[in-house]
Amino acid sequence: MEDRSEVVRMKGITKVYPNGIAANQSVDFSVRKGEIHALMGENGAGKSTLMKILFGLEQPEEGEIVINGEKVVLSSPNAAIAKGIGMVHQHFMLVPSLTVAENIVLGMEPRKRGMFLDYARAVSLTEEYAERYNLQVDPHAKVMDIPVGMKQKVEILKALVRGAQILILDEPTAVLTTQETTELFRELIHFKEQGHTIIFISHKLKEIKQITDRLTIMRAGKSMGVFDTADVSEQDISRLMVGRDVVLKVEKEPPSPTDTVLSVTDVHYQNEYGKQMLGGVSFSVRKGEILGIAGVEGNGQRELVEMLFDMNQPDSGAIEVEGRPVAGKGQAYIRGLGVSHIPEDRMLYGVAAAGTIEENLIADRFQKPRFNKGPLFKMDAIHEESDRLIEDYQILCRSGGQQVKMLSGGNIQKVVVAREFSCAPKLIIADQPTRGIDVGATEFIRRKLVELSREGAAVLLVSADLNEIIELSDSLIVFYGGEIVAYFEDTSTLTDLEMGEYMLGLKRQSPEEIRRVIHA
Amino acid sequence: MLENILGIIFSIPFAFSILRITTPILFAALAAVVADRAGVTNIGLEGIMMISALTGVIFSAWTQSAGVGLLCAMVIGMLVALMIGFFALILKTDIILAGIAVNMLGSGGTILFMYLASGDRGYSANLASKVMPSIDIPLIKDIPVLGQILSGHNVLTYVALLCVFLVWVLLYKTPLGLQIRSVGENPNAADSVGVSVNRISFIALGISGVLAGLGGAFMSMGYMSSFNTNMTAGRGFIALAAEAMGRGEPLGTFLTSLLFGFADALANNLQSLGFPAELVKMTPYVFTIVGLAVYAASTMNKAKKIRHHSKTKKAGAAQAGA
Amino acid sequence: MRKSLKFEIIRGAAAILVALAVAMVFIFIISDVPFQALYNLIVAPFTRMRYIWIILERMIPIIFTGLATCVMFNANQFNLAGEGAVFFGGLVAGACAIYLRLPPVLHAAACIAAAMLVCGLTMLIPALLKTKLGASEMVSSLMLNYILLQLGVYILSYHLADRTQGATMSHKFLDTAIIPTLVPKTNLSWGIVIALVATVLVSIFMYRTRWGYAIRMIGINQSFSKYSGMKVAATVVMCQVVGGMLAGMGGAVEILGYYDRFKWRQLPGYGWDGITIAILAKNNPIFIPLAAFFMAYLRRGCDLMQLNTDVPAEMLSIIQAVIFLFFAAEQFLSKYRHKLVVRDAKDEIAGKAAEKEAKGVEA
Repeated sequence: MEDRSEVVRMKGITKVYPNGIAANQSVDFSVRKGEIHALMGENGAGKSTLMKILFGLEQPEEGEIVINGEKVVLSSPNAAIAKGIGMVHQHFMLVPSLTVAENIVLGMEPRKRGMFLDYARAVSLTEEYAERYNLQVDPHAKVMDIPVGMKQKVEILKALVRGAQILILDEPTAVLTTQETTELFRELIHFKEQGHTIIFISHKLKEIKQITDRLTIMRAGKSMGVFDTADVSEQDISRLMVGRDVVLKVEKEPPSPTDTVLSVTDVHYQNEYGKQMLGGVSFSVRKGEILGIAGVEGNGQRELVEMLFDMNQPDSGAIEVEGRPVAGKGQAYIRGLGVSHIPEDRMLYGVAAAGTIEENLIADRFQKPRFNKGPLFKMDAIHEESDRLIEDYQILCRSGGQQVKMLSGGNIQKVVVAREFSCAPKLIIADQPTRGIDVGATEFIRRKLVELSREGAAVLLVSADLNEIIELSDSLIVFYGGEIVAYFEDTSTLTDLEMGEYMLGLKRQSPEEIRRVIHA
Repeated sequence: MLENILGIIFSIPFAFSILRITTPILFAALAAVVADRAGVTNIGLEGIMMISALTGVIFSAWTQSAGVGLLCAMVIGMLVALMIGFFALILKTDIILAGIAVNMLGSGGTILFMYLASGDRGYSANLASKVMPSIDIPLIKDIPVLGQILSGHNVLTYVALLCVFLVWVLLYKTPLGLQIRSVGENPNAADSVGVSVNRISFIALGISGVLAGLGGAFMSMGYMSSFNTNMTAGRGFIALAAEAMGRGEPLGTFLTSLLFGFADALANNLQSLGFPAELVKMTPYVFTIVGLAVYAASTMNKAKKIRHHSKTKKAGAAQAGA
Repeated sequence: MRKSLKFEIIRGAAAILVALAVAMVFIFIISDVPFQALYNLIVAPFTRMRYIWIILERMIPIIFTGLATCVMFNANQFNLAGEGAVFFGGLVAGACAIYLRLPPVLHAAACIAAAMLVCGLTMLIPALLKTKLGASEMVSSLMLNYILLQLGVYILSYHLADRTQGATMSHKFLDTAIIPTLVPKTNLSWGIVIALVATVLVSIFMYRTRWGYAIRMIGINQSFSKYSGMKVAATVVMCQVVGGMLAGMGGAVEILGYYDRFKWRQLPGYGWDGITIAILAKNNPIFIPLAAFFMAYLRRGCDLMQLNTDVPAEMLSIIQAVIFLFFAAEQFLSKYRHKLVVRDAKDEIAGKAAEKEAKGVEA
């Protein structure tokens, strides 16, 4: 059982977050010396949590960690670094105005004459490691001026300079262009030849097949097993990754869609790093239907949703609600068109946490005549509205005067939903409407969403939860690489396997098939 | 009239006075630079200057040594700044409010202590305090015109100029400076490599307090030879504006401090030409607001341009690629 | 909620005690008659009716600046120009009191309105610089204080000064503009009533109108407010204008109620007191008079201490700064609060479990 060549062995790791979500449930994970090991799974499968534990950023409730045969407790990143573990975070931990060399030596600066920074030494150290590992960086360039690919190399060098033998790379290719990715892979193979061990978090099948030796698949906080990459097919991986444990059934009548409410036409967008996030997206949503957007996160869904609510603007293309363009019009105007929105980040956009439930419930309608009499609020009308919504949406609280931050996650989301669903919306944009909340609230929100769509609202549902997206949506589009790669007019016959293949970029429908989602 | 004004501006005493008037603003602005680069806004500078100005007077009178007075002013400046740090970083008082509290101490508390030390409420004339000496710089003092402008200043004026260089060395040539800049710009990055954000913030505040203390000491032991109430007259606040316009760079901040020194010196001279004193006294503050507005507008346009530029550049590249 | 209120009260009391302890240490060091000094500081202000009238008198301007700070801080705008606005408001009201010819009451009202108008417009400078250019309202408002002071002293010296007087002061105000005395043989004017009415109006404005609501929501979470469709920039400007109007009104009421000529040649310090008061009142306008009373009481105590013993009145600034620092300290006694919150949460969970059970039975 005990494998001599194992450098990392995590046994029975269980991690429960304060909000009650068990991110890791008795997970076993091991990595052999000198291999490139992929850690795969959908968003929320628990792979980031597992790696945070390995890097000392989170402490597990149960389980043990063995590094090079020695049982260790990793209480901080420094402890992990001391054991030869290095992590390259998805969001770079770099200081933009410092040079590459300065970033690399930060916290372990070489000195000269006791008190001065030996910059020449910092540069030579950088060059020495850059050469040894064949990572081309310009030590004198400021980090803010270098491309993303080079920033990543700086992050890798930071870990290597600190003596990392085991490198954790958290979705390293998410921000890279194709050429940069190819280069990164060449470098990774070079590390491997030098005896380093690499843990590679990803959900891109092609990349995994291309460079990893073994892979571990996680789903819903559990390990689905360890495989030799050569022995599993892409279809197998996809099945293990995206399958559903329990198939959820939502009772709903068949849709009878009518007029188009939202039309998105040929939208392009590049983010500030110059990476194309949306490459000509077109679709429409009609009254009375729920259109789902499925896809692994980071494939352009977030950018699209931001544009629908004018939190960002497309480089080209048009977004119209009932024929009226929304870009640059401001949120008040868009809400005036009858658009409501459940934001992905509910604590930032969904609620004013220090405000009361009542104050949060009226945020979009406090200027309406029915709540005002001359300069004053009609407090009766406001209390009535608030009490009605609290009851209709079953918000568990003492009174409308309670602060939102004192509520549980599910009830906070119900506050958001109560506000956004009760303004007679023509179009509802629901972005991850049930993420991280309890079963009762989840069920309630899903039922409401179906109800509203059957009453004639157009619903655009974005969700990383496969159960939710398949069962709730009437029809469904799949995003991959900033484009729509599939359109399923009827979700009732759709299987997980089929979805997985489109979501992970293994398959793609013809342009004609996709174009059916544009209802003139 | 205009001729008179120009005559003054291009005179040697005027140029000399700019340096003199700039000195306290420069100290405080450098104090703002160090704190701001570590990501802490020290709006208690005004109060620290007042407290240090009084400390310098009291201790130099007691010990009959200007040097001891200066040292005490610096130490007190540092302690007060560290107190701001204690409340802001440990007890989580909003740092702006902590600074306001220090300014209250600076305006009222100094009167209390001056009264205790000298028996007077407005003016420390009873205290036989010492001033820092003025010095002539060999060689330079013999250069015509330039010598008259640059030589013969209070020693603290030269210290202030030296501090521009020292702060630059600190920020850009020492490990501590590297850590200060990291903590100010991306505390997460600093934290991820084991640099303690709180520790660095405290150190930066301490240095900031010493510099502000020097500025305060100059006010009562150089610029004037005694302490009087509200003698800093908002210089600690002007310094914040100078730092912002100097983009947190020691050299840039030196130049903007000089600009404020110029405005102040000009104001003093306009008064002698018969302009209403009050309107003249307004000019440095008006100047600061205008400067701040121009600076803010320029950074805003620049940010827009960068975004636009990078987008068009990318679009161009994409087309070329296609 | 109730427990957190209880906690806030305990914490406030603790902060005040710490401040008094610090003051005591100083008094024992400084004074030859420390007990007499302490008596004068703490007890004496309540020993005579006349002292109480003086406390009420001193509350008037700081209630206004406290309210002004409240409105601006509620939207997270660190505009510190209340000091300059209260000064300039007094000047504008004084000028109108000399030169306008109007019947009684109307004249005073016109003076106050003019002060409000001018100070409100003045606040557009930091407000618009912030929303249009992104310049820090804090620095520009601090500069504005000095500009208003110098401009005001200039106007006083060159345009309002009564040359027949020895010191620089304005001509006498017309009787029609004077705010009459409320309690005979004291200086307590109807200004206190105006201040209390203003408190009620500002409380209504903040908690019962759409504008106050938007101000508060923006202060809590600006992203949320923008996303909900509120006009964030306009509200940020509006709250500073309202703040300026209130501070200007304070200056006007103080000048017309307490003086018969305008003679301020320094910033009166009411703006900074207003900030302290707003912090003490936790930015809730309803508590402003209470906090103002406390500050005025402390001031009276310090004055009496100076009058009757050897301790200078400036002791106040030390007490004030210490209270201020501890009141605003989020982590002060936080361990104690944590205990309360945990207990609160436990109760709540138990309650919910019971509720769920009940529901389960129903289903």
